[in-house]
Amino acid sequence: MSEMKDVCVIGTGAAGGVWIDACTRAGLDVVALERGPHLGPSDFRQHDELSNVHRGTGFAPTWQDTTRDHAAQVAQLGRSTMLARCVGGGTAHWGSWCWRFREDDFEVLSSEGPVEGANLADWPISYAELAPFYDAAEARLGLAGQASANPSGPPRHGGYPNPPHPPRRATQLIAMGAKKLGLHPFPTPMAINSRPYQGRAACINGGMCANFGCPVHAKASTLAIHVPAALATGHLDLRPDTRVIELVTGKDGRVLAARTLDASGRENEVRARTFVLACGGIGSAQLLLSSRSARHPDGLANGSGLVGRNLMFHNFTFVFFELPEPSLAALGPAGMVAIDDLHPSDASRGFIRGAVLGESAESGPIWSAYKAPGYLGENTRAWGKPLKDYLRRYPYLDGMIAVGEDLPQLDNRIDLDPTHVDAEGFPLARITYESHPNDRALHDFFDARLHEIALAAGATKSWSFDTSHTKGGTGHIMGTCRMGNDPNESVVDRWCRSHEVPNLYIPDGGCFPTSGGYNPTLTIFANAARTAAHFLESIARKETA
Amino acid sequence: MSAHERDTHFSRRAFLVSTTGLWISAGLPRPLAAAAAQRDEAPSVLSPDEWSAVEAISERILPADETPGAKAAGCVNFIDKALASEDAAALPLYREALQALEHACDARWKKKFVDLDAARQDAMLEDLESGSLPDWGAPGASQQAFFGSVRMHTLLGFLADPRHGGNRDFIGWRTMGFPGPVHHLGGAQPDQMSGKRRFAPIWERTPPRPSQS
Ligand SMILES: Cc1cc2nc3c(=O)[nH]c(=O)nc-3n(C[C@H](O)[C@H](O)[C@H](O)COP(=O)(O)OP(=O)(O)OC[C@H]3O[C@@H](n4cnc5c(N)ncnc54)[C@H](O)[C@@H]3O)c2cc1C
Repeated sequence: MSEMKDVCVIGTGAAGGVWIDACTRAGLDVVALERGPHLGPSDFRQHDELSNVHRGTGFAPTWQDTTRDHAAQVAQLGRSTMLARCVGGGTAHWGSWCWRFREDDFEVLSSEGPVEGANLADWPISYAELAPFYDAAEARLGLAGQASANPSGPPRHGGYPNPPHPPRRATQLIAMGAKKLGLHPFPTPMAINSRPYQGRAACINGGMCANFGCPVHAKASTLAIHVPAALATGHLDLRPDTRVIELVTGKDGRVLAARTLDASGRENEVRARTFVLACGGIGSAQLLLSSRSARHPDGLANGSGLVGRNLMFHNFTFVFFELPEPSLAALGPAGMVAIDDLHPSDASRGFIRGAVLGESAESGPIWSAYKAPGYLGENTRAWGKPLKDYLRRYPYLDGMIAVGEDLPQLDNRIDLDPTHVDAEGFPLARITYESHPNDRALHDFFDARLHEIALAAGATKSWSFDTSHTKGGTGHIMGTCRMGNDPNESVVDRWCRSHEVPNLYIPDGGCFPTSGGYNPTLTIFANAARTAAHFLESIARKETA
Repeated sequence: MSAHERDTHFSRRAFLVSTTGLWISAGLPRPLAAAAAQRDEAPSVLSPDEWSAVEAISERILPADETPGAKAAGCVNFIDKALASEDAAALPLYREALQALEHACDARWKKKFVDLDAARQDAMLEDLESGSLPDWGAPGASQQAFFGSVRMHTLLGFLADPRHGGNRDFIGWRTMGFPGPVHHLGGAQPDQMSGKRRFAPIWERTPPRPSQS
């Protein structure tokens, strides 16, 4: 049994890192429990496309999950998500595209009305309430971008802290093509230093951002920014390779301790006054559902029965294309131009909500090789001479992605697999997910638009890449611990505090009521800072009272 | 996707799924085989006959033409090392399917796979890909699962970093025009990204990887 800490943060990804930073800065003693190791640039230099893209061993060597479309199926064992298990969580290996949600993204139910089969909701907060925290997050992460270049973005004060990155050839071609179609392309806002910033190096344009750790920490992460800052205060007890297996509650209904398992298999208990569960949309739900007791037979903080439900992970639409001149896709970050004109919801298109579009460069040879069958078509065998000739086209290839809003549905969920267990004997997360008809219509619409943009960019050929089978492979995990005002309709309140367990906060991506159609993490950063600030104010009030 | 679904719903799309999926689903991955694979051309788990057969199959998947193919790139060495470590779960599939393939070659041509000419090898592989080799003697190792695995493994052996035992002399990267891991080569400058100045690929540099730790 260890000493009593002020705050125990579980998970060191986007949300956990922000809370660790805010609490230690305020002088609280924090213990941070992180399931994965504390990696750094020297480890990242040993990673390559085989380890990180194909095998996924760079960041989560033992990850397994099970997946199925709906409850009538038996879930199959596999490895669907590409989450990172390490200090920094998903921010260690993200692509770092950084979006603010639009104002209407916070009020989807009231702006759209109910939709059959979907469980739409408004956020309990507005864009205006989050805006100052977006400002602060952009400054902390050192975003590179061009202010007010997105005509469909929400209102913002002032510019980005750093200028946009230099474009590669393909980026320029896509931008020219989009302009021909009357669209307004602009540099994708990225949390990658375009010049040295706050003690971190400038980007060296090495590519290999998403799925990789940055070898020079030019890419922002809680690993490079928040955790080191917290360590420097002397108030952080960082424990990597420490997995929390249960939250133990006392008679008063508060969390007493986190039960942990370290790398050598030793169990321990960590005590604190306040617990912050930030294991990501899958990990947090899994831990709550595993923390069963007589008082909480369906898992902790689950009186609403909503823990794990309303799972969302966006709808990725990929289109790849062949350009008449080299794309130079291997040089620089993967996506340097974005198009957002088509984002605003318009029911006359046959679906509601929208997507942000962006370049998704043909970064590595293995990833490129995956797509040979799509390029070659049904009637050409994807091996032999045709395959080799396809590989030779690599320098001319590039891609685009639409990150589409998927609607929350009650039956899309994370729960505990009844048969499969991990190496330590605990149930794997089971992912049940089926697209809503609206998601499919949205996908088809944006698939067609991406082909048009590719054509306008001069592409001689374009083809789609179907990722509909990769459940959670987007890495954007949302909805599983919904935030709301009504304890019957949500898991946490507007401050990401459990409706039922007063000393438990769950500020990670799981709190999103809807998914926004933008990569989620800047919003996770901003919302975590907002909830941490409120927590610190509330304890300051108690102290002065 | 389970092995069972893979077998029963085979299609182009399923093929894509199964080949972009991972073999590790049947067991936990082992530590990286990179060190063990370095330039070690001796078989570690495949028998000499299995090694030759896999090498011959890989060469049909990525044949030599104007430029070298899978054999020259050492894809079989990559596969052997992968089957000894991370992809050990696929070794039984390889063993059983290779044996069944030799039986099928013997039944049809009275020859071993390696002794067939390229056209006959291709005919066998086409049947293997569509799962239509008759009297397949390996019920636990489906024809498509095996073909999909060797195909994907060959691509990986051609295109993964040479430290994993394939991509000899950067043959795979040269074929594609992939310059190598740019961050190991000192990074790129804006005029190289826009195409105004050429970025020299790894095989033109001495030493090839100046800054690797
Ligand atoms: C390849 C890839 C690219 C991405 N690119 C982008 C992008 O460009 N833009 C964007 O906005 N988003 C991107 N994302 C998504 C982004 O990574 C996530 O949205 C973000 O990291 C989620 O933050 P989080 O705090 O919710 O959880 P995470 O970052 O997932 O952190 C959870 C942490 O909790 C730890 N943990 C889990 N269970 C336990 C336990 N039981 N005990 C102790 N610790 C535990 C995990 O190891 C992990 O470190 C990308 C994701 C991937 C996979």
